[in-house]
Amino acid sequence: MNILQFCHIEKIYGTKDNQVRALHDINLCVKEGEFAAIVGTSGSGKSTLLNLAGGLDTPTKGKIFVKGKEIEALTRKELTIFRRRNIGFVFQNYSLMPVLNVYDNVALPVTFDRGRQVNHKYIEELLRELGIWEKRKKYPGELSGGQQQRVAIARALANKPALLLADEPTGNLDSVTTVEVIGLLKESCRRYSQTILMVTHNEAIAQTCDRIIHIEDGQVMERGLRNQASSYLSEEGGDGAC
Amino acid sequence: MLKLAYQYMRYYKSQTFAIFASIVLTAALLSGIGSLMYSSRINDVENSRMIYGDWHYCVESEAGMEAALAESGTKDDAGFRLEQYAKAKVMGELSAPYQVQFLHVDDAYRKMLWRGITEGREPETADEIAADSYTLVNLGFEGGVGDTLNLGGKNYILTGIVKSKWSSGADEMEIFVGKEFEGKGNGTEKSLLYLKFDEGEKLYKQLEAFQERFRIPGGAAEANDGLTMYLGGERPDSIYHIIKFALTDERGNFTYIILKLQSEYNLAFYAMAAVLILFSLFVIYSVFNISVSKRKAEYAVLQTLGISEGAVGGTLVLELWMLFCAGYPLGCLLGNGVLGLSYQWLRGVFGSKAMGGGKTAASITDRIAVQENGLEGAAQGTALETARAAGFQVSWGVMCAGFVVLFFALAAAGFLTVRAMRRYTLREAMGGDVLFFRGRRKIYSRRGADLANVVVRKFMFLSKKRAMGIILSLSVGGCIFLCTTYMVENLKVHAEMSLKSDDGLGSEYRISVRSDNLEDTIPKSAVEETRAIPGLSEVYASKYILGEVSIEKDQLTWEEYFDEQNKDSYFMEQYGGICVDKGDERYGIKYGIYGYDTGMLEELKDFLLEGEIEEKDLVKGNKIIAVANMDGQGNYDFYGLHPGDAVTFRVPKEKNCPPEVLKFEGRKADYIEKELTIAAIVSRPLAKEDNFLCVNGWENSSIQSLIMTNGQMEENCGIADYSIVNASPEYGADTGKVSAQLLKAVKDVPKAVFRDYAAAIETQKNYLGQQQLFFTGIAVILLVISLFHIMNSMNYSILARRREYGIIRAMGITDAGFGRMILWTGILYGILADVLIFMIYHLALRRVMDYYMLHVVQFLHLTAGIPAGVFAMVMVMNVVIAAAAVMVPAARIAAGDIVREIGG
Repeated sequence: MNILQFCHIEKIYGTKDNQVRALHDINLCVKEGEFAAIVGTSGSGKSTLLNLAGGLDTPTKGKIFVKGKEIEALTRKELTIFRRRNIGFVFQNYSLMPVLNVYDNVALPVTFDRGRQVNHKYIEELLRELGIWEKRKKYPGELSGGQQQRVAIARALANKPALLLADEPTGNLDSVTTVEVIGLLKESCRRYSQTILMVTHNEAIAQTCDRIIHIEDGQVMERGLRNQASSYLSEEGGDGAC
Repeated sequence: MLKLAYQYMRYYKSQTFAIFASIVLTAALLSGIGSLMYSSRINDVENSRMIYGDWHYCVESEAGMEAALAESGTKDDAGFRLEQYAKAKVMGELSAPYQVQFLHVDDAYRKMLWRGITEGREPETADEIAADSYTLVNLGFEGGVGDTLNLGGKNYILTGIVKSKWSSGADEMEIFVGKEFEGKGNGTEKSLLYLKFDEGEKLYKQLEAFQERFRIPGGAAEANDGLTMYLGGERPDSIYHIIKFALTDERGNFTYIILKLQSEYNLAFYAMAAVLILFSLFVIYSVFNISVSKRKAEYAVLQTLGISEGAVGGTLVLELWMLFCAGYPLGCLLGNGVLGLSYQWLRGVFGSKAMGGGKTAASITDRIAVQENGLEGAAQGTALETARAAGFQVSWGVMCAGFVVLFFALAAAGFLTVRAMRRYTLREAMGGDVLFFRGRRKIYSRRGADLANVVVRKFMFLSKKRAMGIILSLSVGGCIFLCTTYMVENLKVHAEMSLKSDDGLGSEYRISVRSDNLEDTIPKSAVEETRAIPGLSEVYASKYILGEVSIEKDQLTWEEYFDEQNKDSYFMEQYGGICVDKGDERYGIKYGIYGYDTGMLEELKDFLLEGEIEEKDLVKGNKIIAVANMDGQGNYDFYGLHPGDAVTFRVPKEKNCPPEVLKFEGRKADYIEKELTIAAIVSRPLAKEDNFLCVNGWENSSIQSLIMTNGQMEENCGIADYSIVNASPEYGADTGKVSAQLLKAVKDVPKAVFRDYAAAIETQKNYLGQQQLFFTGIAVILLVISLFHIMNSMNYSILARRREYGIIRAMGITDAGFGRMILWTGILYGILADVLIFMIYHLALRRVMDYYMLHVVQFLHLTAGIPAGVFAMVMVMNVVIAAAAVMVPAARIAAGDIVREIGG
C-alpha cells in the first residue's frame, strides 16, 4: 500500500524573473514500511520534496497523497492535525526545545492533542530503546549531538506516525554516531511498521536503505533499489505513474 | 564607523523607527512638562508682581542715599545692580477710624506699585489728595473727583482716583498727597526707597551688597515676599545644613528636608525633571538594547573580520547619537508645540495661585471680584481678567539639561551594550541566540501539564531581566495611573474642602461686617430678609465674637510661632498681641468664637479629626468644637487636648466696651468666662472672619476658632445677632438679580460688605478640572510610552523564538492552539503585573502618596480612595495590553511560512 504519492508535482519559488523551479513533474510513490533515502546535490530539491511530503509547504502544481488523503484538499487546521497524527519529523539540527528536558521534549507533540493522555509507558519504552532513559531529566544543552538526535527521533516517534520524514538526521554527527542513529531509525521502522523518507548527502548511508531516490535539478533522475528487495520494489513501488 | 552606523539604520528600518519614536516621545514629554512647569512659575512671578508690586525690597532712606544713587546711577560694581527704585515719603498718619497713611510718591512708585492715577490728576497743593476707591469707600466717601473729604477734622479736595492695590486690607489705606502737604509732625514722617534689583542675579546677594554699601543694618529691609520668594529673596540654607538640622535637631525630620528643599531649592521642579530624564533614558535604552540584541550575530561577524570592540561600540553610539540628534529636537518641538498651544487652557495646572490651601487663601481672595456695598465693582476689577500673563515659556534649561544628560547617558548605554556582548564567545554570538538552559529537573508531562504552554512560558521568562522589564513597564503604567487617580480623587475632596474653608468660597455670596466694633452686626431681621429672597438655595448665618482661650504654659509647644506672630505692632497696639503671658502660668490666645447653624455644622463634619459633631449633643451638653492648629508639616494638634477635655475661654461681656477689654486686659467682670467640654476637633472652620476683628496681623487668625451652635452663642456669650451670612443661588437662578436683592437686603446694615464669589468659584473649579485632566493626561502619555516599550519587548521576546515556534507548528500545533498558548503567556504577564501593582501600590506607593499629600502638599483630609471601577479597569487593562502585545507578533508568526521559520 502506498503511504505517500506525488502526482505531477511542480514547485516554483519566486515570481517573474526571479522564478526558480525547485521541482518539476515529480511522480513518486512510497510504500508502507519502506525506508527510502533521497539523495542529490545541494539545491537539487531534496528538502523541498520532504517539506511537501510533510505538508509544510504547498506545491505549485500537482497532488500529494499521504495515507490516501490529498493533503492539499485539507484545511489548514485539518492539515495540522493530520500532520500531527501521521507524520513525524527529524531535523538535521535536532530542533529540540531547549527549555524542556528530554522526557518532556519527547512527550511534547502528544500533548498537542487535547484530551489525549500521554502514554508514559510508550515514551519510557522509546527512551529505553534509544538508550537515553537515564538522560530523561537532562536538558538538550547537556547532551551530545548523538544523544540529542536520539531524543529528536524519539519525539518523532512519540505519536506513532505512519510516515517519518528525516532531513539529514546525521548531518551533524560523527561516523560512529551516524551508524547508531541510522540503525535506530531502521529498527524503529521495523518495530513500528513505519515508513521513513530520509534526505541525505551521504551515499554510504543511502546504500543501507531499502530504496534510493535520486533527485537532480528538481527531477527524479533514477531510482536505486537495494539488493534483495529490488524486484519487490520495482514491481510494487517506485517511480510509477499515479 | 559613521557610514556603517548609517547603513545599519537604513537596513533595520523598523528598529531604527522604534528607537527614533522612543526618543521623540520621551523628548516631547520631558521638554513639554519642563516648559509647562517653568511657564507656570514664570506666570506666578508675573502675577505676584502684579499683586504685590514690581519691587523687591523697601528700606528707609537715609540722608545722602538718594543722592549717591542718583550720582552712580543704577549700575554699581559693589555687587548689586539696581534696575529701578522708587521714592515714597510718609507725610503723616491717621489711626481712626482706620489706619491711614499720607504718602507723597514719585512716578517710579506709581509705576512699580501699580498705583497710577486712573481719573483726575496728581494732588499738588497742601489740601489736595488722591486715593483709591477701596480707601474712599471705607472712609465713607460717596462723591467724586473735585469733591471734598474730611479727614482728621480737616477738609481735602479729591483731585484723582488712584488704581487700587490688588491685595487690600483694612490697615493698608493710603492717601496720596502733594509735596506741599503739611504733616502732623508727630514723628511718623519717614522716607522710603523701593528697590528693584537685577533679577538675573540672586536678590539676597544684591541686597546684602546694597546694605553694606549704605551701612543699613541687616533686617532693616522689608522684602516684598510675595514676589521675592520666587527670585531668591532670602539667602537659602545650604543643603548640608538642612540635612544636618533634620538629623540632629529634635524638630527636624524627613518632611522638614523635603519642605525646606522645596521652598529654597524648588525641589518639585528639579525632581520632576530628573524623574522624566530617568524615565526617558530607561525607555530609549530598553528599546535600543532590544534592537542591538537582534544584530548580535552581525557584530560578532564584524569582530571576527577584525573590527575592534571599541569600533563596534562606536558604531552603536554613533547610530544612537544620530537618531538622538534628529529625534530630540523634533520631540522638543512636538512637546512644546502641543503644550504651547494648549497652555492658555492649562495655565492653572501648576500655578500655585490657583491651588487651594491655607497659604494661598489670601491670594485667591485677593483676586476675587469684590462688589463693595454701595459702590459696585469700584474697588476692584476682576483680577483674573487683567492678570499679567507671561504666556508659554520654553524651558531651555530642562531641554538642554535633558539633552546633555541623555547624550552622555546614551553613549554609556552603547558601551554597556557592547560590554554585555562579552558574555558570549564570538562563535556563540555568530550562532545567533545561543541557549543553554538548565532548569528544575521536573517532568511536566507526568503532571499533566500543557507542554506547549510550558515551552512558551519558559521562553518568555527565559531572560529574567527582560521579563522583569516587561512586568515593570506594565506595572509602572498602572501604578502611575493609580497614583494619579488617587491624587486626583483626593485633590477633588481637598479642593472642595479648601474652597469652603481656607478660601471661604463655600458659598457664592457672602455678607460680612467690616468693622472692629463689636456692636456692628447683621441683625436677625436682615438675615430673615435674605432667607426670603427667591432664587437662593442655602442661607447660612453665623455669629462671631473675638475671645481669648486660656491654656497652661506647658500645653503650648508653639511659643516660637506666637513670638513671631506677636511682632505685628498694630495688632499688639489694638489687641495686646495674639498670645499673651497671663502671668499665672497660663497663656491667653486670641480666638474667634463662632456660632454655626444646622447646615454649617453638618458641613463641618467633613473636617472632623476627632470626636463627633451632633447638634443635639452640643446643645444638650453645652459642648464646643475646637479647630486644631496645623503645623508647617500638616500635623494637627489642639494644645494636646482631645474630645472630652475642657477648654476655658472668655469673651467681652459688653459689646460697647473700652479698647483694653478687647485686649483682654480688663477686669474680670468685663468678661464672660466659660469652661466647656470639647465635643470634637476639626481641621478647619467654615464661616470665618478673614481678619481678626478686621485687623490684619495674624496670618492664622481665620483658623483659630471655637465653634458652637448659634443658640449656644446667645446662651453662653450673649450674642443675638449675626456677623456672617453665606448664601448660594439655586441652580439656574438669575444670579445678577439674586445678588442685587442681597445687596438691597443688607443696604442699611452699617459696615456690611457683600462679596460675590461666583466668578472665583467658577475659576477654581475650572482650575481643578484642568488639573484633573492634565494629570490624567500625563498618566495616559506615560502609559502610552510604557506601552510602546512593552510592545517592543514582547515583540522581541516572541520573535526571537520564531524558529522554535516554527518547529512546534511543524510538529502539529494548530494556529488556534499556538495563539492560545501565546495568549496565556500574555495573560500571565498581565496577572503578574497586576499582582506587582497591587503590592507596590498598597505596600509602598499609597503610603508615599499619603505622606506626600498630607505633609508636603498638605491636603486637608484623605478621605477619597481609588474607585473600585478604576482599580478593576487598570487590572483588566494590564491583562488586555499584555495579551494584545503578545498576540501581534504571534499573529505574524502564525501567518509566516513554517519552512522559512525553521530555516528549512
